[in-house]
Amino acid sequence: MTQMGFYFNQTRCTGCHTCRVACKDWHDLQSEGVNWMQIKIVEKGTFPHLFLAFMAVPCYQCETPACMVACPVDAISKRASDGIVVVDPDTCLGREKCAKTPCLKACRSRVPQFGPEDNAKMQKCDFCMERLDQGKQPICVEACPMFALEIGALSDLRQKYGSSREAPGFNHSLKIKPAVVMTPKPEVYS
Amino acid sequence: MDNSETFSHGDIRIVNTGCCHDCGGRCVLKAHVKDGRVIRLESDTGEYPQIRACMRGRAYRQRLYSPDRLQHPLRRVGKKGAGKFERVSWDDALNEVAGKLQHVKETYGNASILLLASGGNQGMLHGPLPVGAMLQEFGGFTRTWGIASYEGAMYASMATYGTIRTGNSREDLLNSKMVILWGWNPAVTIQDPGTSLMLARVKEKGVKIVVVDPRYSDSAATFGQQWIPIRPGTDSAVLIAMAYVILKENLQDQAFIDKHTVGIEKYKDYLFGDEDGIPKTPRWAESISTVPAQVIAELAREYAQSKPAALIAGWAPARAAFGEQYSRAANVLTAMTGNIGVSGGYAAGFMRAYSSREFSHKKVVVRPDQAKPRSTGNPVEDGASPRKYSLHKLYGGTNPNGARIHNAKVFDAILRGKAGGYPADIKLGYVVASNCLNQNPNTRRGKAALEALDFLVVHEQFMTPTARFADIVLPVNTFMERSDIAPPWLGSPYYIYLNKAVDSLYEAKSDLDICRELAPKLGISPMMFAFTEDEILQGIAAGRDDIPDYGVMKRDGVLKIRLDEPMVSFKEQIEDPGQASFPTLSGKIEIYCEHLAEMGDPSVPPVPRYMPHAESHDASLAKQYPLQLITPHDKKRAHSTWYNVPWCSEIEPHVVRINPVDARDRGIRDDDMVDLFNDRGRVRIRARVTERIMPGVLELTQGAWYDPDEEGVDLGGCANVLTRDDASPGGAHPMNSTLVQVEAFSQD
Repeated sequence: MTQMGFYFNQTRCTGCHTCRVACKDWHDLQSEGVNWMQIKIVEKGTFPHLFLAFMAVPCYQCETPACMVACPVDAISKRASDGIVVVDPDTCLGREKCAKTPCLKACRSRVPQFGPEDNAKMQKCDFCMERLDQGKQPICVEACPMFALEIGALSDLRQKYGSSREAPGFNHSLKIKPAVVMTPKPEVYS
Repeated sequence: MDNSETFSHGDIRIVNTGCCHDCGGRCVLKAHVKDGRVIRLESDTGEYPQIRACMRGRAYRQRLYSPDRLQHPLRRVGKKGAGKFERVSWDDALNEVAGKLQHVKETYGNASILLLASGGNQGMLHGPLPVGAMLQEFGGFTRTWGIASYEGAMYASMATYGTIRTGNSREDLLNSKMVILWGWNPAVTIQDPGTSLMLARVKEKGVKIVVVDPRYSDSAATFGQQWIPIRPGTDSAVLIAMAYVILKENLQDQAFIDKHTVGIEKYKDYLFGDEDGIPKTPRWAESISTVPAQVIAELAREYAQSKPAALIAGWAPARAAFGEQYSRAANVLTAMTGNIGVSGGYAAGFMRAYSSREFSHKKVVVRPDQAKPRSTGNPVEDGASPRKYSLHKLYGGTNPNGARIHNAKVFDAILRGKAGGYPADIKLGYVVASNCLNQNPNTRRGKAALEALDFLVVHEQFMTPTARFADIVLPVNTFMERSDIAPPWLGSPYYIYLNKAVDSLYEAKSDLDICRELAPKLGISPMMFAFTEDEILQGIAAGRDDIPDYGVMKRDGVLKIRLDEPMVSFKEQIEDPGQASFPTLSGKIEIYCEHLAEMGDPSVPPVPRYMPHAESHDASLAKQYPLQLITPHDKKRAHSTWYNVPWCSEIEPHVVRINPVDARDRGIRDDDMVDLFNDRGRVRIRARVTERIMPGVLELTQGAWYDPDEEGVDLGGCANVLTRDDASPGGAHPMNSTLVQVEAFSQD
């Protein structure tokens, strides 16, 4: 298996939300609040000495996904070919029937989401699998005006961009191993 | 098969179009169309440079298919502003509009017809153009001047260089050794889509970028190595003090000054205090701007010694009372340091390095003293004298026709007419591509003005705050429903060709088609309307010398023009001054502007000056309203467009940003509801307490829709409820010169 991973060049991110909206458009996520790509903002310091960074939060396709471990009915699995974490909506019990929805609590990045519809099934970023299968990049990668995102084999990303797995707004965990490479924004204050 | 389709797969057709509203970008969109509906979008994945749409463009389907789209012509039935309308047929609506136009023309004359046009829904064809053509043929109309975004910058650019074609194309930033972004936040305000990427690349080269802004903006945070917070309205003081330091320490490019400029000695008289006894030292500027003297002196030295360096003077600080002075001071500084006409430098000014917008992008060859007053073809304007303070001896910039009304004064003009000193008594308003009630200053006066009109017709896509005051609202289609051509505003050499992706929704029509149907009812047949949309677009393309093949541009949806090297404004003048001169009265860069000197009016001084005004931080009004409000762009919208698109607005609620120091003093906590007010109005809004705004300053982004309650308190957060409807002599709107107070709002 080639584990696919996510590269984020945090130094370039202006927090413009283009990736998030391109994703909503492509996947037709009409509901407010449902975002397969989320943008976190890190704001620190006291005027005039400030630090600001953005963190792109798709699904990091963890090597041992906490959501997968937590799911009571094994609706979440890793695709054998590329390690992309997928949810089977037919198996997922749905928000009301599952009651505890442990996948929500398990994921520190709040990646699993439920729409507003009755007994909504869990949904999340899947690296635009159908685009990858057609040889295209995920829509967020193609959308980013700053060319700050890339998705590819984790080993290739490491080779290209180094082994850094942390950045302000994101802590790596050896337990779940998010498949990420990051160019962190140096925490320098203005 | 339509040649706009690059490829289709299955039952999906991909239409090459682009995004086109009132931001400084025009971006590639590829609409995936299935069964006559756009089902998703892609953007540019083609050759360098990719013109990638931002969040707003990517959210377009929610705007196109919004449940709030206006579907039919509407006639007002409730009181003005109440939003009560009835559905009418196109024929009835247009008959009524035609009847009112005829009546006003016959009873009061054409000057009583006011066109309120803007760029909110505008390509090179659709938008105000066909309406203007129609009203002109009808005998003319009163029009406005003074663009809120840039009028101050434009005036200063004309005064200094005699042209608005300044600066270098974005690519050239890679040749700079230092870049200063002054009052400019291109991460949010798109002024050519590739700007942010270019700035990131400049930073990655290790080149220092300094950001001067009252806010720790997204641009300051992402590109800035240094952030210099500055009190709004005092930018000119700091730039002037930088000039002082540069001359005092002999860091200027004297050879450049001698060869290419006039008037440095007169500027020195002001700088060194010979004129008024006040040397414009960094300490002087510190007391005005809060920027430490040491920081000012170091910035001056660094800028003068890092050649070439690009000082990009954003338009925002010129959206202020006497905003022209800030732009002039920046322009002059770039001249004093010899950063004009050289790669890596940047002639601060209007920033339009490359222009596909003007009819020819050949250099202006007409000598200013030979320039003839331009006939506008509008009978109402023919014979009018040049407007006071206009730079009418120069060729280009804003039309100096004295029959025009400044946009900031247009509501007052409607209310007071000729008796108030305005050129006409306005009876009928014709609004196209504009949400002027929301976007012009002083909304409350605007409301009174729109109520006072005999008749108001509005072309719109949504029931905007302006449309609510209309007698007739005509539903207009979006760029997805028609074809057009669109170049960006400023420095980038390309055109977007917007191929129609889907048929017009509901009963919406293009501005062109509305006018085509209205014109015969007015008994006129403007020549333009004899042609099809495609023929007109072909004609527009034929008038440009940088569109080699209309068909190819249409097929590809974008034409990227290859330049041999980045565009560097004034290269010819600097390299060979014997052959090329600046189109100013002197033929040189005017540190001391002769045209301004001839006016002999202290409000338009011939050299740049710091000029306080009625809503300066230290004005007497500041005792009552001690906080300075700035009203910048919001990343969620382009002006008031996209305000009602949930994919954009869900980022965060509309808020007023306030520093913790100011919040604490007033018992305001993050997320509290607060009242923001001055003598002009009151806005009730959520507070965001953040260190990202300097103490003493509030930020309320412009463009949120005015929504007054029964007591007149705006619950929508429209910044212009608070701004002043005045204009600087050069036309700068004083939106960023607004004093306010804020207090916690309690329910009881």
